[in-house]
Amino acid sequence: MIRLWLKSVFAGHSGRLIGAAVGLALPVALLASLGTFVVASSESMARRAVASLPVDWQVLVGPGADPAMVIDAIGKAARYDSLQSVGYADTEGFAATTGETSQTTGPGKVLGLDADYRRIFPGQIELNLGSWDGVLAAGQTAANLHITPGDTVTIQRVGMGPVDIKIAGVVALPNADSMFQAIGVSKNLAPQAPPDNVLLTPMEQWRAIFGPQSSARPDTVRTEIHVRFDRSVLPPDPSAAFIQAQRTANSFEARVAGSAALTDNLAAQLDAVRADALYARVLFLFLGIPGVVLALLVTLAIASSGSERRRREQALLRLRGASRPQVLRLAAIEATAIGGLGVTIGLVLAVMITLGWWRLEDLRLAVPWLIPVGGIGLGFGIAASLVPAWMDATRTSISAARAEVDRQTSPLWQRLYADIAILAVGAIVFWTVARSGYEIVLAPEGVAQTSVHYEAFLAPLCLWIGAGLLWLRLSRWILGPGHSLVAALLAPFSAALAPIIAASLSRQRRRMARGVALVALAFAFATATAIFNSTYNAQSRVDAELTNGADVTLTGTTSHPAAALLSELRAIPGVADAEPMMHRFAYVGADLQDMFGINPATIGRLTTISNAYFANHDAAKSLALLAKTPDGVFVSQETVDDFQLQPGDRLNLRLQSASDHQYHVVPFRFIGIVREFPTAPKDSFLVANADYIAGQTGTEASEVVLLRTSGDTDAVAAAARKLAAAQGGTKVTTLGETQALISSSLTAVDLRGLTALELGLSVLMIAGVTGLVLALGLAERRRSFTILSALGATPRQLGAFLWGEGLFIVIGGATMGIVVGFGIAYALVALLSGVFDPPPEALSVPWLYVTVALVTALVCGSIAIVATLALSKKPDLEALRGS
Amino acid sequence: MPDVLVEGKDVARRFSQGGSDILALRPASFAIRSADRIALLGRSGSGKSTLVHLIAGLDAPTGGALSWPALARDSALRPTYIGIVFQAPSLIPTLSVIENVEVPLRIGGRISSPRTQAMAALEALGLASLADKVPDELSGGQAQRVALARAIALKPRLILADEPTGQLDQSIARQTVNTLLDSLEGSDTAVVVATHDPSVAERMKTTWLMDHGELRLSSEMASA
Repeated sequence: MIRLWLKSVFAGHSGRLIGAAVGLALPVALLASLGTFVVASSESMARRAVASLPVDWQVLVGPGADPAMVIDAIGKAARYDSLQSVGYADTEGFAATTGETSQTTGPGKVLGLDADYRRIFPGQIELNLGSWDGVLAAGQTAANLHITPGDTVTIQRVGMGPVDIKIAGVVALPNADSMFQAIGVSKNLAPQAPPDNVLLTPMEQWRAIFGPQSSARPDTVRTEIHVRFDRSVLPPDPSAAFIQAQRTANSFEARVAGSAALTDNLAAQLDAVRADALYARVLFLFLGIPGVVLALLVTLAIASSGSERRRREQALLRLRGASRPQVLRLAAIEATAIGGLGVTIGLVLAVMITLGWWRLEDLRLAVPWLIPVGGIGLGFGIAASLVPAWMDATRTSISAARAEVDRQTSPLWQRLYADIAILAVGAIVFWTVARSGYEIVLAPEGVAQTSVHYEAFLAPLCLWIGAGLLWLRLSRWILGPGHSLVAALLAPFSAALAPIIAASLSRQRRRMARGVALVALAFAFATATAIFNSTYNAQSRVDAELTNGADVTLTGTTSHPAAALLSELRAIPGVADAEPMMHRFAYVGADLQDMFGINPATIGRLTTISNAYFANHDAAKSLALLAKTPDGVFVSQETVDDFQLQPGDRLNLRLQSASDHQYHVVPFRFIGIVREFPTAPKDSFLVANADYIAGQTGTEASEVVLLRTSGDTDAVAAAARKLAAAQGGTKVTTLGETQALISSSLTAVDLRGLTALELGLSVLMIAGVTGLVLALGLAERRRSFTILSALGATPRQLGAFLWGEGLFIVIGGATMGIVVGFGIAYALVALLSGVFDPPPEALSVPWLYVTVALVTALVCGSIAIVATLALSKKPDLEALRGS
Repeated sequence: MPDVLVEGKDVARRFSQGGSDILALRPASFAIRSADRIALLGRSGSGKSTLVHLIAGLDAPTGGALSWPALARDSALRPTYIGIVFQAPSLIPTLSVIENVEVPLRIGGRISSPRTQAMAALEALGLASLADKVPDELSGGQAQRVALARAIALKPRLILADEPTGQLDQSIARQTVNTLLDSLEGSDTAVVVATHDPSVAERMKTTWLMDHGELRLSSEMASA
């Protein structure tokens, strides 16, 4: 009998089987891919975070200390991959005569490197011209001296005679900031710009040149040890990796006890991405889990789409004497066939996504996820068929099992108004959490703890569940007491049949409501994810604008202000406008903060000054107040809290004077709180009038120039770089480069991967829910449509039945889903405001994606309806005979 | 002379199944006139349903010619001119009894108050009390009588009933046929009932025999 049953299932219903299996494969693929995404992301998070870091430790050997002892201490503290000694020597300058001109630079540095250095630390030095073999000149030095490979340069040693060397090559130093950072100094000191003039020599040559200088002037020559650790021992989680890195550094410092100073680039990088990594996980919780739930519900819907037919068949079997175990066994066979096929296809799809998209190198890491997902998919698929079959076999009479019309009693949750209660709980939680702000809390330095307010997840969870139940209630009401409204809506398309169609839909309202709820859930999920992703991308651009300040930004120093090039910069083709801005430093108590001096009347021409930047949410008012108050200053909230400031209070800051380079007290008046400002750091900072700062410090130097471009930004940046190279000490950055950097953060990369998967599979699930589920549901009632056709219904009249049902589910579901999707996106953006930098003022809606989703639903629904119509137009004569 | 509602000349129907041809209806010539009461008697599988489906316009002959001289073109045959009762249960399960009876009235589209006319049809068959029930709540006999009410609601010129009592016991079957014929008493609606039950055939004025696809009319039987 089992063979016969299998034959009837596969031969007679193969189309439905395959459809159900494909429909099951999609949610299984989503579920499995989400899981492997977490695996791939977690497995590589710490490594990704430090992948671009060339040197993990820079250890400065103290005066008189034995480098061998320091190296031994490094080896005892941690397992290192490689380390190299690097010599640093100060010089009074370089000189070169090329052609008929002689050039002389200011003070510079000469590095001594072993031959293996560039192999061990790739990315530190890039050859632009000439050969590696010999003395190399940094690009800016070569430009300053007008030298090329083969030219001779005179090194003016400190306190000793000059030395001539021949240049073999010209190089770039991409990590100059890190290479020349001051080691063992206070973190509160402003970061120093790397030297403008640098030569790199082979270590032997360096020792020969600077050995005597080291004896005569030991303060001008030092040795650093650059270390690279075995990164495979890093825990995958950046927070755990940071703790490990800190402990290693502490262990080393304890061993050397003052003989050496350490700059731990590795811990600094991991520290910077800890919050990022945690946000990546939180994003999965908020965005991924609804996708998981949707996937499971779609699995259930597809698996149970043939339940009415199966119930009738089982009732017939029981009528003919089949026992309960026999009936259940046969139900299990069909369910297992669909489940097995669907899960197999889904897992294959997930493996392809894991290897091709997530690029997980070791698939074995994903197996602990793939196997349970396969089991869950199979289990769900079987349970969705078997549980109703078991319930029918054990509790329902045969005649009731053959019934096709909904019973009229409301479910318990509806009678208890559970949907309203859950929505109310969600609203309360949201209001409470959003009001207090939702931040991942990092404990103070030295205590690597993070905490997540998981209870905040209650709000969107309640919104999902409550909205889902509300959809069910509304759909049942519209089709129940409100079905005359449905008849009125159908009348233009179905004329005299409208009341009949509405009555038929009304008696199927439980099934219809489930269909509407499923479509609504799919649309809500797709819409919420798309809006969140779009808002994040929009804020990335705002963040880039905030970080870079303008399309192109030149950042110099007080001694080499970028504004010295202002007139030449304005003359570059493609520059629409240029605005100088001061970037000084001021002591607020003992705290050194960045200070920005602006012209409040003109700053807005070059860069966006958003309302969100100020605590009063009014940028125009704030700038006007600054213009009116010459000694006014905006400070950060932390400064206000520390000094308990009130508007109008006098605030004494210490700024460096140009005359004696000493810090002197300058009085300011506190006029408001600033939260963000273009180019400002995340720490506390100050904004004041440039004129006042210039008058008080004795220098009008504007360190920064902001450029707005009207054409090719890269071309403008290239021209600006040429001008900046001539001056020296000035860095040029573009909005595009900054945005690319922001987009490479852990959160950005993980969000991109997660949302790309969910947005893509959402559209497929919408297609599945509206096309497949609708088609499978309509196929269950093909007999009714055959009877209507036999009674004389024209194709148009038959179509009215089908379109009425289909469009109610698709349009009703899509409308409800998109509306709720907006609400969920709003809640998610508010709760996860810490992910955005800065927090958005409004949602960014990807109308194209929403339109694509809607069109997909309409097209797939239409295909399902048209296919059913085509099959039902010609009456099935065998069905009419009762075959 | 009564109108010729349906005329068939050497009408045949051949089916291809699994590579072989089956002649379900051998060439047959016949005519159905207004007010005819015809029983199409034959065993199961003799071709009765095939002939009924051809007459209803649900199927097309593969040989011969079939026409409906006194009726409209075949696209408008049902439900306006031909009412049909099927062998298998044929009520729409998601519509109530009254709504099921209204279906052909609304499909036909020319009735100003389909509900009133549907109720009248139910009352004619003594089924008015079942108006608000759904098919799941009816017995087999009740369901078939509702199907009959649906067939007669539009007052068609011809009613075709394909084994309407095939799934009913004898007394219910007799009662059902009696109800149908009583409701049409005095009208010129023709009735053709396909049946394997001789007791049902006895109630009809004319009997055609169907045997292995071959149709033998009452005149042929008389001469035989």
